[in-house]
Amino acid sequence: MGIQEQYRSEAAALLSSGEVKLVIGFGPGSTADRRRPLFARTPEEAEKLVLDPACISNLTTYLVAGGLLSDGKKVAIFLKPDGIRSLNILVSECQVKPEQVVIFGYAIENNEIRPLSGRSIGDFAEIGSKIRTATPPPAVQKEAERLEAMSPAERFEFWKEQFSKCIKCYACRQACPMCYCRRCIVDVNQPQWVSTSSHTLGNFEWNLVRAFHLAGRCAACGACDRACPVNIPLRLINYRMGKEVKEAFDYHAGESSDQKPVLASFSQDDPETFIL
Amino acid sequence: MSESFEPKIVAFVCTYCTYAGADLAGTSRLKYAPNVRIVRLPCTGRISPMFILKALQKGADSVLVSGCHPGDCHFAAGNYHARRRWTVFRALLAFTGIPEERIRFSWVSAAEGAKFADLINEITEDTKKLGPFTQYQELQKVIETQSSY
Amino acid sequence: MAKIGVFVCHCGENIASMVDTATLVRKISEHPGVEVCTEYKYFCSDPGQETVKRAIRENNLTGVVVAACSPRMHETTFRKACAEAGLNPYMLEMANIREHCSWVHSDKEKATEKAIEITRSLVEKVKRNNDLKPISVPVTRRALVIGGGIAGIQAALDIAGAGREVILVEREPSIGGHMSQLSETFPTLDCSQCILTPRMVEAIQHPNIKVLTYSEVESVDGYIGNFKVKIRKKARYVDINKCTGCGDCIQKCPVKKIPSEFECGLGNRTAIYTPFAQAVPNVPVIDTTRCTYFKNGKCKICQKTCQIENCIDFEMQDTFEEYEIGAIVVATGFQIQDTSLYGEYGYGKYKDVITGLSFERLASASGPTSGKILRPSDGKEPETIVFIQCAGSRDPSKGVKYCSKICCMYTAKHAMLFAHKNHHGRSQIFYMDIRAAGKGYDEFTRRAIEEDGAEYLRGRVSKLYEENGKLIVRGVDSLLGKPVEVAADMVVLATAIVPQPDAKETAKKIGIGYDEYGFYNEAHLKLRPVETATAGIYLCGACQSPKDIPDSVAQASAAAAKVIGLFSREQLEREPVVAGVNDATCAGCQGCIMACPYNAIDVRDINDRNGNLIKQVADVNPGLCQGCGTCVTFCRSNSIDLAGFTEKQIFAEVMAL
Repeated sequence: MGIQEQYRSEAAALLSSGEVKLVIGFGPGSTADRRRPLFARTPEEAEKLVLDPACISNLTTYLVAGGLLSDGKKVAIFLKPDGIRSLNILVSECQVKPEQVVIFGYAIENNEIRPLSGRSIGDFAEIGSKIRTATPPPAVQKEAERLEAMSPAERFEFWKEQFSKCIKCYACRQACPMCYCRRCIVDVNQPQWVSTSSHTLGNFEWNLVRAFHLAGRCAACGACDRACPVNIPLRLINYRMGKEVKEAFDYHAGESSDQKPVLASFSQDDPETFIL
Repeated sequence: MSESFEPKIVAFVCTYCTYAGADLAGTSRLKYAPNVRIVRLPCTGRISPMFILKALQKGADSVLVSGCHPGDCHFAAGNYHARRRWTVFRALLAFTGIPEERIRFSWVSAAEGAKFADLINEITEDTKKLGPFTQYQELQKVIETQSSY
Repeated sequence: MAKIGVFVCHCGENIASMVDTATLVRKISEHPGVEVCTEYKYFCSDPGQETVKRAIRENNLTGVVVAACSPRMHETTFRKACAEAGLNPYMLEMANIREHCSWVHSDKEKATEKAIEITRSLVEKVKRNNDLKPISVPVTRRALVIGGGIAGIQAALDIAGAGREVILVEREPSIGGHMSQLSETFPTLDCSQCILTPRMVEAIQHPNIKVLTYSEVESVDGYIGNFKVKIRKKARYVDINKCTGCGDCIQKCPVKKIPSEFECGLGNRTAIYTPFAQAVPNVPVIDTTRCTYFKNGKCKICQKTCQIENCIDFEMQDTFEEYEIGAIVVATGFQIQDTSLYGEYGYGKYKDVITGLSFERLASASGPTSGKILRPSDGKEPETIVFIQCAGSRDPSKGVKYCSKICCMYTAKHAMLFAHKNHHGRSQIFYMDIRAAGKGYDEFTRRAIEEDGAEYLRGRVSKLYEENGKLIVRGVDSLLGKPVEVAADMVVLATAIVPQPDAKETAKKIGIGYDEYGFYNEAHLKLRPVETATAGIYLCGACQSPKDIPDSVAQASAAAAKVIGLFSREQLEREPVVAGVNDATCAGCQGCIMACPYNAIDVRDINDRNGNLIKQVADVNPGLCQGCGTCVTFCRSNSIDLAGFTEKQIFAEVMAL
């Protein structure tokens, strides 16, 4: 029995026994090589679950949507390592109770699916700790280095051009599991911190504030980047923020579920070379 | 830059240390450049990165953020939290091409009136050399539809 | 609609000479929302304040900006004026055009321009100010004093004397602290025990004081007037209520050769022991690390000796007690620095190189030698003693940077005591400066020199070694510019005073600040020397900085006065500059809870009508919140705001610059 079948039958069993109220996984997408989220509430629906190397989305986003977990019932979810790290962050930020989540873990390696053993978040400690030694995607790293080698003015031009494309559709926010706020700062209008006018300054503000809010909280799943309809390289800016908290505070987002949020904690010995 | 350029500097300071330090500069009659505008907050912990962005939007050529020295925070740890935020925010600004030298951070205690005065003079001089910071403000003139993708 | 009154003060010439106030008034008058704008020579004067009050009443002003000096100077004055005129005092902002403008600039045009901008931005802020009401919190009129040395005892007695309850916590088996170790005290040479013991007894017998010895503060929660303190009572293994203090158990204890901490190792104690004869309470404790029973499971001789049933209980456990406390006095004292880091002084290598505190024990009538000054090595009476001052103090490279303050005096005292006990003895004192500021202090050191023959050599000691039973002390007399060599029988080091080794942990537990060394920080060195930055917590004694007995006692009484003042009220009024949560938008990430330096934020459940949990939100305790705003900046969804410095206010202030 393949992984897909094994997870399918296990998911169906969880649903029929009433152990979980919902299974969040993948179903067939609009084309042969695309998958879309599938929400199975019955064993029959679970039979439609698909698991193959095209299942790349980070489904944790759906865990924090619409008060799904507020009834205390359990939910099963298909997660690959970045999703597990996102879940760690969500647990550490009190958005998800670990006992409410059953995990069907998998990794995609050489275009093949490999199951990850364990069903609860505590079983995946190793996935979290691996982040310390993980290397970022070479393309992202290379592009970030190219940008960093530029003069500030050139970099500014780069981002100006990128952000000027932004149509403030907030798809990045919708796709991101970390954007679970009930009211996003961009929707605050008393005061209007982020300009909503159609000029690039507002776009800049939006993208800066989102990147800042993700510092130390991004599992680098790339959901925002994929969601962006105008192809702003959001991965880059999130990568740079992740690098900063790593280097400055030895902080690795999503390493464990009892991590203290990086910006809600401090060490007296934090670096401060830039402070006069 | 032309001789007549008078930079605008916005300083976000905590009331217990740097604001008091600036008061001391006053009572000691230390003279410094008149280019700074001080916004008083209770603690550096209250200084949000958004304040800095808004100051830049309003035409600040440089921004100063300043508070109590580590260990001296009136609120015990507000400045430690602030320091982390600044580290991250500063990296973000640098990565997006907003020159680091325009956003300054310092610790100025209530006893360091002279340090405050020197700091303002130094920032004013440096900013004069850097010239006006119009890049960011002018983003307001760039309308989405002008760009192509 | 906002109706703002702006009052531009000349401060005599202080402002008016550098800021063109007429232009300022004209510009601000034109600003939207400004109803009145006037100038006057001194708005802080009575007629000035009357002008403000009249303007508020006549124009129904909704906000006031006084463009004058620093808010740190006159904010309170004008808040009061606003309140008297019927306007909420928090509807006032001070535009600082003096300290931050007229006094620091020399170009009138630019200074005026700056004054206009400062004032304008505060007009925009004040338009968004809200009516705030002071927060009332009840006061529990019971004090906790941490540390039972002379400072703690004095503070406890003073507070108790004013009719308030005191819990006095001491971690050692007896109260008394370092003062109980001293022989005679400068500058009057009265015996330390003789003046201290009555105070110790008074404290333990006082109906308002509950003395908890061999106890430590486990945790401190809460805030001024409303602390919750948990105290660990360490197991003594002797029932404090049953023990009569007969001392039979101590007599019979077979483990007799334990170096006594109280005697600085110059004497011995048993495994069941009281630290010293006059201990209060006079109830022994068992040192479980040394007791034969605790080590080998056999012995219990003390229990067999004890006449009282179940008085000695080997099964005793640590117990915890919780108290509601209104104010805390921290009097945790000091330790002396480990002088063995000075290899050149040979401490730890030569038995006859001792610390000043050890000398106190030698000189003490109740000490190991019954007050005879004898060499620890061979018990012989020394003829020449070399005293080395600043053995660690004022030495940034190896020791501590600060002056330990008491050493000059006690060294002079030591020389005197030695002269009184051995009329042929010579005291030679290596010193850097003689710091003898204090009532009767300089006279005292003069007396040591002139009457008791203390020989002062100005200079440092470079080397110390043993030769033919003598300690050869080599140094420099920097006044003569010559090397000196003294053959001494004994060397006494004036070791530096350092904070308790766990001072920093204790500070974190209590919630107070400390300096680079670990001495506790006062709220203001000059003007608030016994308060900490944490409301309701006070300091006295050497935990703040090195201090002698008179200073410690004076500070203890001052701290007690602060506590008594606090306890004179049933309710406390606090500044309403506190944070508040918007329940509707709070996502419950609890980051603010972790970030809050005061543990002032908690989780609150929001339930539906049937009691089912809908969500959890952050909840600020206004009694605990100190108003730093760290949580506000942390909150990604802007769901916390800080009264007096709201997002709207700051936004408006910045956007008006």
